[in-house]
Amino acid sequence: MWLRSLILSFCHWCNNSFFGHGIRNSAWLFPFVEIFHLLALGVLGGTILLLNLRLVGLRFRDEPISELAQDVRPWMLGSLGVMLVSGFLLFSTEAVKMYGNWAFRWKMTFLLLAILFTFTIHRKVTMSDEARVAPLWRWVVAVVSVLLWTGVGLGGRAIGYVASVAPSAMIWIK
Amino acid sequence: MSIASFLQWLSNTQFSVMMRESTWAEPIVETIHVLTLTLFLGLAALLDLRLLGVAMKRRRMSEVLGQLNPCLFVGFAVMVVSGVVLFSGDPVSFYSTTFFKVKMIMLVLAGLNVMIFNATIGSKVAEWDLDLKTPRGAKAAAVVSLVLWVLIVAAGRGIAYALPPP
Repeated sequence: MWLRSLILSFCHWCNNSFFGHGIRNSAWLFPFVEIFHLLALGVLGGTILLLNLRLVGLRFRDEPISELAQDVRPWMLGSLGVMLVSGFLLFSTEAVKMYGNWAFRWKMTFLLLAILFTFTIHRKVTMSDEARVAPLWRWVVAVVSVLLWTGVGLGGRAIGYVASVAPSAMIWIK
Repeated sequence: MSIASFLQWLSNTQFSVMMRESTWAEPIVETIHVLTLTLFLGLAALLDLRLLGVAMKRRRMSEVLGQLNPCLFVGFAVMVVSGVVLFSGDPVSFYSTTFFKVKMIMLVLAGLNVMIFNATIGSKVAEWDLDLKTPRGAKAAAVVSLVLWVLIVAAGRGIAYALPPP
């Protein structure tokens, strides 16, 4: 399929790019970028967790949710930016290998869903007047948000453990 | 009992053997340790940024402390328990790395930083609760905390690189 060959050639381009090549051949650059990825994970997850705790009324109950959302927004967007850039750099060191790694595919699928959810439904609910959103709906949004981002995190953790393509993931690749 | 003999004893316990031999124990506990960075590191960073006067500026300092501290406590407890479990899986190797020793020293320093803050400027939080410019002591505590936690994460990642491959 044309899309698959396009992705694969993008992976080859990443592998051969100056950054992919440079980070791969450096003893300390990969761990260095990885630490930024971890630190941004903490801040991004922390802000999202805090917003979700507020959504279900467990933290900062006395504050309007939209105010808290505005307060943490710059830190959430900033850390997401660091996550994406550092993640892309790490990916570029072994992009072709990642293409065949089912944990990486899992992670990218969840990442896409999590970002879409965060900037549409989650954003709408955290930015709107609380009285106009049903409590059940707030719970659902908070739980879905945590599950989607946990899916990203679990996929990320699994990448290192998955050396090759699992048989069950072969249908995706063929 | 010397440190070496304690580590040896620990690595011979049934629990330690189970951690080494189980396929799933180590990855699961390590995943918990890493993902709890969101609950602990992320919220600690937000608190420090509020102390510096750059995040959540409209919130009262005492409110931010009161709301975040219980989360930080839970997060820290999970970090410590999962960390001790990981350590007990291979204590001799962990202790042999410089990263581990440096991390432990910095953890003690981070704890001291919190204690000093609570005993001094933190106990007088009512006096500067809504100040847009936070006191110098609060800023110092925040910078020390941020620097230490960044280095602790880095050292923690370093341990994994320094450990002998399984």
